[in-house]
Amino acid sequence: MSSANATGNEASGKWIGRALPNSRSSRLLRGQGYYVDDIQAPRTLHAAVVRSPVAHGRILKWDAGEALSETGAKLALGPDEIGRFTEPLPMAWTLPGQNPHHIELAINTVRYVGQPIGVVVADSRAEAEDAAERVRLEIAPLPVAATTEAALAPGAPLLYPENGTNLAGSAELGDTAEEIARVMDEAAHIVTRNLSVQRIAHSPMEPRGVLADWLPHTECLTVWNSTQSPHVVRQDLAVALRLRADQIRVVAPDVGGSFGGKAMLHPDEAMVCLASMRLGRAVRWTEDRRENLTAAYQGRGQSARARLALDAQGRFLTLDAHIVGDLGAFPSQAGSGPFQATGMALEGPYRFVRAGATVDAVYTNAAPTGAYRGYGMQEASWIRERLIDEAARELGLDPVELRLRNSIRPKDLPYTTRSGFTYDSGDYPAALLRAAKMANSRRRVSEGAVSRGSGITMSVELTGYAPTSLLGALGIDAAGWESGKIRVNQDGTVTVFSGVIPVGQGIETALAQIVADRMGVPLSWISVQLGDTAATPYSDLSSQASRSVTLAGGALMLAADRMRGRMRSLAARRLGVDPNDVMWEVEPGNAPTTDTSRYRATDSAQTVSWRDVAHRAWKGWDRNTHEERIQLEETVDFDPPALTFAYGVHGAAVAVNRETGKVTVEDYWTVHDSGNLVNPALAEGQIIGGVAQGIGLALLEEAQHDPVDGKPLAVTLQDYALPRTADVPRITVEHLHTPSEIIPGGFKGLGEGGAIPPPATIAAAIADAVPHIAGSLTHTPMTPFVIWSALDASNTPPDAT
Amino acid sequence: MTEAAGTPGWRDAPARRRNVTMTVNGKPATAPAEDRTLLSDYLRHGLLLTGTHVGCEQGVCGACTVLVDDIPVPSCLMLAVQAEGSSVRTVESLTGDDGDLSGMQRALLESHGLQCGFCTPGLLMSLAHAEEQELTGHEIAEDVLPGHLCRCTGYAGIRAAVERYWAAGGKGKGRHE
Repeated sequence: MSSANATGNEASGKWIGRALPNSRSSRLLRGQGYYVDDIQAPRTLHAAVVRSPVAHGRILKWDAGEALSETGAKLALGPDEIGRFTEPLPMAWTLPGQNPHHIELAINTVRYVGQPIGVVVADSRAEAEDAAERVRLEIAPLPVAATTEAALAPGAPLLYPENGTNLAGSAELGDTAEEIARVMDEAAHIVTRNLSVQRIAHSPMEPRGVLADWLPHTECLTVWNSTQSPHVVRQDLAVALRLRADQIRVVAPDVGGSFGGKAMLHPDEAMVCLASMRLGRAVRWTEDRRENLTAAYQGRGQSARARLALDAQGRFLTLDAHIVGDLGAFPSQAGSGPFQATGMALEGPYRFVRAGATVDAVYTNAAPTGAYRGYGMQEASWIRERLIDEAARELGLDPVELRLRNSIRPKDLPYTTRSGFTYDSGDYPAALLRAAKMANSRRRVSEGAVSRGSGITMSVELTGYAPTSLLGALGIDAAGWESGKIRVNQDGTVTVFSGVIPVGQGIETALAQIVADRMGVPLSWISVQLGDTAATPYSDLSSQASRSVTLAGGALMLAADRMRGRMRSLAARRLGVDPNDVMWEVEPGNAPTTDTSRYRATDSAQTVSWRDVAHRAWKGWDRNTHEERIQLEETVDFDPPALTFAYGVHGAAVAVNRETGKVTVEDYWTVHDSGNLVNPALAEGQIIGGVAQGIGLALLEEAQHDPVDGKPLAVTLQDYALPRTADVPRITVEHLHTPSEIIPGGFKGLGEGGAIPPPATIAAAIADAVPHIAGSLTHTPMTPFVIWSALDASNTPPDAT
Repeated sequence: MTEAAGTPGWRDAPARRRNVTMTVNGKPATAPAEDRTLLSDYLRHGLLLTGTHVGCEQGVCGACTVLVDDIPVPSCLMLAVQAEGSSVRTVESLTGDDGDLSGMQRALLESHGLQCGFCTPGLLMSLAHAEEQELTGHEIAEDVLPGHLCRCTGYAGIRAAVERYWAAGGKGKGRHE
């Protein structure tokens, strides 16, 4: 069937909205994935990283003499050598006056167990690891402050003595304490809790990895890196290695999961690149799981003292929090960003008279924290929704009714929060009521030692992280715009270029669907090129912060419209008619090279094939004027006017075994609104995968450090409990579709929305099941030990429930 | 920075390496390995069969699972020399010579049972074994899937794929429930 029309609009809408498998899945299923460690380069050497065995100490000696003389090691780089050849890494989000404001590669003080000190290179990984063990390190231990409490205590050991404090800096968001206090005076009821979220390790199935290849002949460095942000890696490496940016090419091949953990260049990755430059050889480093769990940047790690004030009618008056964020040994490139994001996202989908937060970012002798899926918003959800459920419990109100009473309504939108964000569109109460209805049909009864309950929470997800002006106003040294580039090749095939990265989410397929849809061509004509700084448009933030479909997709919507118009104009010129008098004819199975993929003049039988139009364009034959561009490429830089906000309501049903304290999530459901969906199957994959990670955060995972000596306690996947099949129930996803009015295509982001609400939702369900311990549900993970201890400490005998 | 010339230790090292031979995906294969070389490294770096992925090197995640003499084994916990003379099958053996996906591979594709794809090869090998053992879908859910970590999918698509494939009777081997 031909999808021809004479209206000038080839966009038939047949690709956007289709649940297609990810285009690279067939290759991955065949075992033909191409991850960093799979790449073969000639004459490759292997690196092992020498790491600190202690949480705090002064490096007195680095002696690699024996490592080099007694093994086959080719090179050892310690702090002195690294310092001679590098500069520190830049940092994108700093607090005023923050010291340090960059990341040292050459260190004389170690501040966490696993911190990279140097690197050793040999013929094989095993030999490099052997040699690394023979580096003689002398470290004079210093006292340790492993937690924020210890770091803020009077007389605490100081990580940066020149600062005189472990407080790296502070920020205030939303209304001032005075304004909040004035309104709080009118409150009929105030709920105050200390609410905290543990440190977690991203744990992508593929750990980090680098293959760096410095070619002395051309003085160019090629870096294959498992990363979400190749352009920023390139930029940071240029600074660190004192190179011009155009001497470096960074390629992200297949990336085996990231979740924020591969958003930033780590110091050890830069050291491996330096080793390649010193040797003029390719050098590979593949992180092992222990390094991934202990040495890589971690996520979350904050505690808050938070208050919710209500009037006598149960209306929210104020919400405020004093947030203490655990930066770890030094600020990652994200620095205090996640803690500030918590303050900004605190209000969620509710109306408050006043709301605000203060943030203290604190150095500790533990791994630095950085971006993790849900970036501060999960922590905000935990604070806000726990307080709301506790208020409902204390006041004897129905928690759904309390939320409904205070929810932002459609008539309020667009709605500007006290912290200054403007929510664009949606129907929050409708989502709440739908999820509540789903809860009613899913009630399960308690039996014996098992108490059952369910809970519902709401959240708003900041998506399409931009515009550039907002990031500038927040003091973030990053651009928010995305660029989309479309090339129609001489053979008629279509190549799409974007700076976002496929990390498993299937963005390459979603972008192809968008371009096919808007250009009115078969999907099979399109190839999407991502991940190579030499080929793709610049992107600062790339695939982070739920921005790939909204921003890269938005840019490509516009670029596709332009290219469609251009092809039509060229065809019309060739046919000697007006562009409005041209029909586009294509059969779904057609190749771009067949003559039946063609434009037809409506008032004559004249046709010109798609391929001929493309071929002639590249020859420069059908130009109108000498000014007209020749290359058949269209590039659009898209910087949206504002953020676009997705939202969701999550429901969980749990079983609490009162004898063991084990919590089982038996059922989970969400009502989610991310506007128009490009590919519902990929969207669902993001939401369900996010919920599973949220379940891990709620019940299982913790990157704990020994409070005395700062040693990491979870060093293998046997100690660090990730969700397995038995931990994740069937998850029902229902959608509302409120199109974004500021994003072409009406898309909103959804990469993080699934991961944000599960801990608060599961806590609400536990509180419903065993209300006598509801007040103690203030910290995650809610392990069997935690729940059993709370039950044991509660005065109510279990049988009385 | 100090560069090392060849040293005695380094000269000794190659002496510990010797050719290790086994049958891999039905064909004889030989590559040098040290005694300490893991089967996973032998397959990946010795034979360049990089479809087998190493996720934890601790036998926990299941990503590196291969079949050794028809038994699923985490190849990160077995030395290459221990598999000498054995018959080893990896993910590369599952696709037919015509390049067509196997039934299980197609079920995972169609049910969105993978995202980043890193855990997939090991899972496929365990499922291949389950199919050969004629396990039921229930037995797979209880005994096979818990041995494989996936960080992307929340297991929804994996479960759906197994259910879809086993409901269809697998390749005629899986029992109907």
